[in-house]
Amino acid sequence: MSILEKLIQLESEAVSKAESASGLEALDQIRIQYLGKKGSLSEVLKGLGSASPEERPKIGAAANLAKAKVEAALEAKKVKLEGLALEQRLATEQIDTTVLARQAHLGALHPITQTTQKLIKVFSRLGFDVVTGPEVETEFLNFEAVNIPADHPARDMQDTFFLGPGVVLRTHTSAVQMRAMRSKSWPIRVLCPGAVFRCDDDATHSPMFHQIEGLWVDRQVRMSDLKGTLEFFAKELFGSSTQIRLRPSYFPFVEPGAEVDVSCPFCKKNPKGGCKVCKGSGWLEILGAGMVHPKLFQMAGYEATEISGFAFGLGIERIAMLMYGIPDLRLMFRGDMRFLKQFA
Amino acid sequence: MKISYRWLNEYINLSSFGDAFKVGELLTARGIEIEDIQDLSKGFEKVVSAKILEKTQHPQADRLSLCQVSTGTGAPLEVVCGAQNMKAGDIVALAQIGADLPNGLKIVQSKIRGSTSNGMLCSLEELCLATESEGIWILPPGTELGLPVSKILGREDVVLTLKVTSNRADCLSHFGIAREIASATGLALKEPKYGPLKFVENGQSPIQIGVNDSEACPQFYGVVLDGVKVGPSPDWLIKKLEAIGSRSINNVVDATNFLMFEFGHPTHAYDADRIVGAKIVARLAEKGEKVRLLDDTEIETAGTEVVIADQTSVLGLAGVMGGGHSEVQASSTRLFLECAQFSPSLVRKASSRLQKKTEASHRFERGVDPAGLPRALSRLTSLIQELAGGEVKSATFVSSKGVTVGRERKAIEFHSRYVTEFLGMTISDVEIERIFTGLDCRVEKIGAPTQSGTQSGNPSGTQGSFKVFPPSYRLDLSLREDLAEELARSVGYDKIPSTVPALTSIPTLFSEDESAKKRDLVESAKLQMVGAGYCETVNLAFSSKKWLAEFGLSSEVKILNPLSEEHEYLVSSLLPGLVQNVIENWNHQFGSEVLSVRLFELRPTFALGAQAVAAVGELETGVAENWKLSYVASGLRNQPGLKAEDAVIDFYDFKAAFERLVQNLGVRGVRLKAFQEVVSFEGPGSRIRHLFHPGQSVGVLAGRDLVGFIGMVHPKLSASLKLRHPLWLAEVDWTALRKLMRSPVEVAQYQPYGSFPSVERDFALLVSSSVQSDQVVQSALKAAKPLAKTVRVFDIYKGKPVPEGMTSVAVRVIFLDEARSLEESEVEQASAKILQAWKKEFNAELR
Repeated sequence: MSILEKLIQLESEAVSKAESASGLEALDQIRIQYLGKKGSLSEVLKGLGSASPEERPKIGAAANLAKAKVEAALEAKKVKLEGLALEQRLATEQIDTTVLARQAHLGALHPITQTTQKLIKVFSRLGFDVVTGPEVETEFLNFEAVNIPADHPARDMQDTFFLGPGVVLRTHTSAVQMRAMRSKSWPIRVLCPGAVFRCDDDATHSPMFHQIEGLWVDRQVRMSDLKGTLEFFAKELFGSSTQIRLRPSYFPFVEPGAEVDVSCPFCKKNPKGGCKVCKGSGWLEILGAGMVHPKLFQMAGYEATEISGFAFGLGIERIAMLMYGIPDLRLMFRGDMRFLKQFA
Repeated sequence: MKISYRWLNEYINLSSFGDAFKVGELLTARGIEIEDIQDLSKGFEKVVSAKILEKTQHPQADRLSLCQVSTGTGAPLEVVCGAQNMKAGDIVALAQIGADLPNGLKIVQSKIRGSTSNGMLCSLEELCLATESEGIWILPPGTELGLPVSKILGREDVVLTLKVTSNRADCLSHFGIAREIASATGLALKEPKYGPLKFVENGQSPIQIGVNDSEACPQFYGVVLDGVKVGPSPDWLIKKLEAIGSRSINNVVDATNFLMFEFGHPTHAYDADRIVGAKIVARLAEKGEKVRLLDDTEIETAGTEVVIADQTSVLGLAGVMGGGHSEVQASSTRLFLECAQFSPSLVRKASSRLQKKTEASHRFERGVDPAGLPRALSRLTSLIQELAGGEVKSATFVSSKGVTVGRERKAIEFHSRYVTEFLGMTISDVEIERIFTGLDCRVEKIGAPTQSGTQSGNPSGTQGSFKVFPPSYRLDLSLREDLAEELARSVGYDKIPSTVPALTSIPTLFSEDESAKKRDLVESAKLQMVGAGYCETVNLAFSSKKWLAEFGLSSEVKILNPLSEEHEYLVSSLLPGLVQNVIENWNHQFGSEVLSVRLFELRPTFALGAQAVAAVGELETGVAENWKLSYVASGLRNQPGLKAEDAVIDFYDFKAAFERLVQNLGVRGVRLKAFQEVVSFEGPGSRIRHLFHPGQSVGVLAGRDLVGFIGMVHPKLSASLKLRHPLWLAEVDWTALRKLMRSPVEVAQYQPYGSFPSVERDFALLVSSSVQSDQVVQSALKAAKPLAKTVRVFDIYKGKPVPEGMTSVAVRVIFLDEARSLEESEVEQASAKILQAWKKEFNAELR
């Protein structure tokens, strides 16, 4: 057999072995067997010396070709085998990704807190500062100072818990406004959020609930400014198409006084009428407001002729119930995880 | 307050204006809110009077009869009826087809045992006119046929329930409401007819009037009426009173009630023969006087009440309720009629203390028209004479206000410019004058030419200046702000534009105030707790003595007028409330699923901060509000997942929430110490010490103050509360923490971190099991200061081969100098110091 023939034979032998190699190690063995220093192809070329000078280049070229073919076959097989190995590995590494996440518990702020924050955010845009005060108040600050003298019928509006002579659980956060005015001079823009208390306990009243009151005192503050402020608030909170409506009312600490309604934001969802939230009236009563009564300025030690102001107050639970669709006020105070978790 | 629409129309003809609903809208827009509108004829539509022409036995049913009835017009109708009490010729109430009765029954044409019934003959019960009735209702013979029953009953009326705010005393009557509507609409107001009496001041009378305290009773008008015949009231009067929910008593008492609802003046009629000594006196009560009132209760005076008395006894509680003794009875013939003005605050004090809220006290508390007394008493006298006869023997009065009380209140100066400045709108001078005049105010223009042609004020710049004299009954009008409101509600609040408030100077800042800082930190802390997986809860600030006692706690702050025993005390700790939440959460949990309850609350607790709960000055209450951060947890570490991975929350998970907060809020100087190590410490945390398991809890120290605890509920408490699962509790004094916090205006300050390598050394040592890892850490930190930057226990092992009573503790110490690389020898030296300290302090051996 000539060298050339031998080369061809070895080449086809190596290529077919490579193609049928069972693994990467076997493939390596084949490489060593044919292409290594002492491999078959190298051995064949050792016989090159006996070839004629004319044949030598031909044999050299044929040998290189055979080597390249074998190398290509080995490489192709290697890629194939590696691919297979990766596939096998991936298959063994498969996990069930649908198993529940190792999830930490989710906490949540109480809807009262979230609502308070929302309200503060809206009014902060108009420059209100937040101030707070004690929940146990003097009767003086809770009532007298805000123009509700003892034995005045206006006290009927707020059934009061008494703790001792002249000491009450505050019935509104107006006392905080008074504290703010007494501590600093005007101009003032404050928000007073907090818990308030009234002797009332039924489906729509809780003996403890939360209010936020606002106060703006400056030169020439007008009732139209109150209206604009509340309109801004209503639009921010319930959407830009919200309207407000002021109705005359009476609160001893303001004059003129107003009840403020907002156009029902839920009616849109019940276009055919029969909205359960506003009971079809189209309006929701959410605020009390008015121009600060001069008596309060006097109590604050302000010179009332120079200034005017407006004040407003709203129940936070009422807003929270509207926003979150909470049907019963008492759900707020039960500490039930099934309730609280919903507001995460 | 209830207003009968029909009655209202006697003072103002509203037919041209609209119906009761329209009036309701008008009043609401003017500040008198409508709470309810009830059409009394509702359910009576299509119920008419009809005559039974013929009654025959139903051919198919023994107990039914067939009636041919006529409503006066049209063909007779056949109606099947089950009652037996009627006969041909009777006039009955026929509910026609389509009637929708007050009891909810809808009348349709029906076949009853083969006979068609074209309606129903009604019983009083079916018309909700009686709670029980037998047979059908037979109307008086001669009743016109085809008449709506509502008309026969006088129920063609609509009753409006109004919410009259406490400043509008003048609207607490039909006439007052008519007046309010008149001023809004310009419709004419009609006064009822009566013969005006001429009252003589301090005049002679068979019953002399005396007033001992003119503050308590500024005015007292009286009439003596002789020859009165007390009897039942006429139908029109009974109907009127019933429509607004008042019960008829007799003609005299009904007349006084009628007058109160007509004019808003409570009056009282006495049997004059029961007044001893021919004199009636309004005076302040003495302490301990007793009187039996009309509601048959006996009250004892405290000495602050106004009473009406004769020579021997108290006759009544002035402004609140009359007494039983001098009550007008069927046999009374001589009457003393009283119409007075009493101190609103004294009436209120008495009615509040004695819990007697009456129609009279409601009006006196708010104030009656001081100029209206003579008219009211004249009208009452005329009315009683009309109803019960009698002759006026005297009409006298006593007044501290002189012969006549002005019909005008003090003038209020008002300038139209003020409307712009205060309301933000413009109303013309002409309109302003028209509105005030319409409101019954007299308006004087300042600077306007007087009759003599001269000017009363400064001729220049007086345009738009007014003096406004409100009428006597508008007790709420005394300031220009009050007038501004009158203008605003007259033109309508909807006419006020929306503007944006301007700032005239930099507003006072509150953001650096304590209260603002406090609030900001409360918000941040809450977010930290939420981040740690806790839900915020808000519990009522009240608890019961019993529930607090379950926790070995008590409260120093008691509510004097609690809603119930459950709500009697202000809480001294938030934990009892949180534990209650947990128990309630557990109670609704069924099945094998582990319920994770993780709650926190950040709210004040209450304690006595002074000698007693009592106001000292204007700002001090004697109650201290101690804010607490409290949290509780039970259940799994994470949300439920694969069983193998579900771990129950342990102390280290629970403590993490607090440490997280401390780190993130930049609290400096707070230390957690083993329960046993804080035994001798005191502070706000002391009072809750006993709630915690001594072996599985830590005390929270702020400086040397014990400010709280974190740990397992004490097994004794767990047993007595029958807790179903292990429960972790924490309560820390918030104020103490807050003082150690970075303030919200402070922010974290950058600390340079060097680029030099740190050196780690790990030690495994054997110590007695009583040694806590924190002791090991603190000891090392101290011994190798300042090179030991971090010391961390990373493994703890008990059990073989570690001897009994000993623990193997693995500690990693990281040495670092920010400024240079450490020499090997330095680290060796520092390590040796650490080992020495451990040996000395804990007799620790390296393993």
